[in-house]
Amino acid sequence: MISVGTPLPAPRDSSMSIAKVRPCLEASGVRKVYGAGTAAAVEAVSTVSFTVPHGQFVAILGPSGCGKSTLLMMVGGLETVSSGSIIVNGEAMTGPRTSIGIMFQDPTLLPWKSALDNVLFPVRVLKRSMDDYRQTAYGLLQQVGLDGFEHKRPHELSGGMRQRVAICRTLVYDPEVLLMDEPFSALDAISRDEMNELLLDLWQQFTKTALFVTHSIREAVLLADRVLVMTKRPATIVEDLAIPFARPRSIALGENRKFNEICRHLRERIEAGHDRPQALRRGTAIRRREPAT
Amino acid sequence: MSVGIPAAAASRGVPAIGSSLRRARPVALPIATAAATLLLWQFTAVRLQISAVILPAPVEIAHELWRALPVLISQAGPTALDTLLAFAVAAILGVGLAVIITYSPLLRDTLYPNLVFFQLVPKVALAPLFVIWLGFGSTSRVAFAAFISFFPVVIAAAVGFAGTDPAALQLCRSLTASEWRCFMLVRFPFALPAIFSGFKVAMTMAVVGVIIGEFISSQAGLGHYILNAGSRLNTADVFAALGVLCALGVGLYGAVALAELCIRRVYGRH
Amino acid sequence: MAFLNTSEAAANGRLLRLVILPVGFALATIALWQILCQALHIPPVLLPPPSDVWTVLRGNYAILFDETLPTLNESIASFIVASVLGVGLAIALTFSAWVREALYPNIIMFQLIPKIALAPLFIVWLGVGETTSIVVAVFIAFFPIVVSSVTGLVSAKPEVLRLCQSLTASEWQAFRMVRFPYAVPYIFAGMKVGVTMAMIGVVVGEFITAQHGLGYIIMFAAGASETATVLAAIVLLCVIGLGLYGIVGLAEWLALRSYGGAMPISGVI
Repeated sequence: MISVGTPLPAPRDSSMSIAKVRPCLEASGVRKVYGAGTAAAVEAVSTVSFTVPHGQFVAILGPSGCGKSTLLMMVGGLETVSSGSIIVNGEAMTGPRTSIGIMFQDPTLLPWKSALDNVLFPVRVLKRSMDDYRQTAYGLLQQVGLDGFEHKRPHELSGGMRQRVAICRTLVYDPEVLLMDEPFSALDAISRDEMNELLLDLWQQFTKTALFVTHSIREAVLLADRVLVMTKRPATIVEDLAIPFARPRSIALGENRKFNEICRHLRERIEAGHDRPQALRRGTAIRRREPAT
Repeated sequence: MSVGIPAAAASRGVPAIGSSLRRARPVALPIATAAATLLLWQFTAVRLQISAVILPAPVEIAHELWRALPVLISQAGPTALDTLLAFAVAAILGVGLAVIITYSPLLRDTLYPNLVFFQLVPKVALAPLFVIWLGFGSTSRVAFAAFISFFPVVIAAAVGFAGTDPAALQLCRSLTASEWRCFMLVRFPFALPAIFSGFKVAMTMAVVGVIIGEFISSQAGLGHYILNAGSRLNTADVFAALGVLCALGVGLYGAVALAELCIRRVYGRH
Repeated sequence: MAFLNTSEAAANGRLLRLVILPVGFALATIALWQILCQALHIPPVLLPPPSDVWTVLRGNYAILFDETLPTLNESIASFIVASVLGVGLAIALTFSAWVREALYPNIIMFQLIPKIALAPLFIVWLGVGETTSIVVAVFIAFFPIVVSSVTGLVSAKPEVLRLCQSLTASEWQAFRMVRFPYAVPYIFAGMKVGVTMAMIGVVVGEFITAQHGLGYIIMFAAGASETATVLAAIVLLCVIGLGLYGIVGLAEWLALRSYGGAMPISGVI
């Protein structure tokens, strides 16, 4: 069940009114079952419905194994839906589209190509003119702070730098919708904070609709306009929370009191739908040891 | 992939025949292909009346195999024996030299490049040399086969010993274990997969070495039998002998693989 | 020779030692050989000294060169054919899962057979001539190339292929831009084994057909107890073998500068 909290913030391009324009993304009754019709069938996603207006940054938050990545793959056309429908920009998703850009946890750069060539990889695939896009690629690399590294091979770059190249690669062909599947989960904490700041900065410039899958509550609240909370059993959205902070945002938002209240609320929401081991249930073990003072 | 509740509707009804067929496919399909090839061969040989000298039908080969089986087995004996002996020599010397190389950087830097170099030259060319040195008997074949199977063992074992996880070795030393204990407890088990892959190659090379030796110098053994049958244009005989040789080769290789399984069970899989 | 850590050694300045020691050892062995032959009066039929071998090489230069050419040509020809067929089959196997599952296990089984034993069969089929040697060599060299290439072509990580899929790349594009480049190190590893196998096939073919080539010279000289000639021919074979391997190695080095991800883990050879 979706509970709508405070009204959604206006989309970034305020020349459009919500009522007039069809939403960018509409998911209705989306369900995914693996191995349907056999005894070992597994329901990965169980009846999810939500809509995303143009230009909104939505975080999908949940513990591991709750089906959020599967949901993202379905939105991106890399997985089929078992039932229900996903409509992006007015057309039902039947397969991958070039107007949708996907970023994965693994940057998957081609080891034998330089950073610049990796950024231009989609241009080669889409058989567009390389010259047209070369300037864009250089510009993007500069924006993410990799100027001077254009001709380095991936093995010469750190994990964070590789993921930055992957961001440029996803943006170079200007997709309208960005899907990001835990892109920063494999990075160390400091790199992750840097990448979050980078994404916030980039977001100031590009008016794109985005779905960002993560299991980090703080990351979700920091980056997104709206957080959809998913749980495991059933694998569905249990909360749809609007994030009230204005942009531009910075990493310092993490110290804001309201920010932490929202994080706590989300954490409680996740825990409520989550089986936790006996001993970790809040208070039990600790109270037994410490005498009341 | 994510875990969820099994869909209620799927728990009854359709039996999972489809899935077990799908699981059997990787085994069934190649066997079916091989069987189909044999059938096609039989059909073509009979239908097109291909001369038995060029391509005897499988049935005919089976017939010949059955007829000549005692002879073939008696010929397989010397070949098998020579191979096992050559393999044993190569294995012992090979692992021994690898241990020495591991513990002496001087010898390693001196010998290892030469070993790799020797691996790359066509050692086959030395077969007649072994005959010159050791005569026409079994010794020259065993020596030659040992010579060519020695190199894969040394190289593989040396790489295996050197590739031990340095953290494990440091742990061992920090517990004040002697170098010998470190070797037996850490280096050797870690190197086992590499050593056995070297053994498998060595066994194959030993068979090849013995066969080549028999080609050029023997009056007995499967290699000699094949060459002889070939010169008499008795192709069915050649195929029959090849069949026995394949069985021998596969059997010996399987023995190494089996030994590997047993030993890995003792030392633990990793 | 990664395990000798050549790059680290170069950094430490040990590179000189890594070259001098093995070369010095080899030269010392040859010198010892020479000395022992003369000191212990070993009969030249058994083990001629290096000086005798050198005499043969210099004296019979023309004849040896005449016989080197066929061996060299047949080795090169069979290697090229085996590579083309091997890589071609590997590519075909990549595109169809059905064909791959049907054929590949059979190919692996064939690896276990001592394929050299089929040489007399090829003689029955193709007679005694240079075609036979080439066909035997192709047959032997083909299998390691196929196995290695298939391993490489299926080694592309699923994440990269999923990326291609998300960019709506066609199968052919994914193959050309991702799968094949990832496979290049494996293909070359297979080709290095293949070139050695091709030479072995040619030499053994020459042993048993005894028509021409260095293998023939070896058999002939061995029969006539001319051990120095045998050794001279062996030396020439080694030179060819190393030369061909070196050419493939050079091609590999060039290709890996443009292509290839991680090198395959080579446990043996």
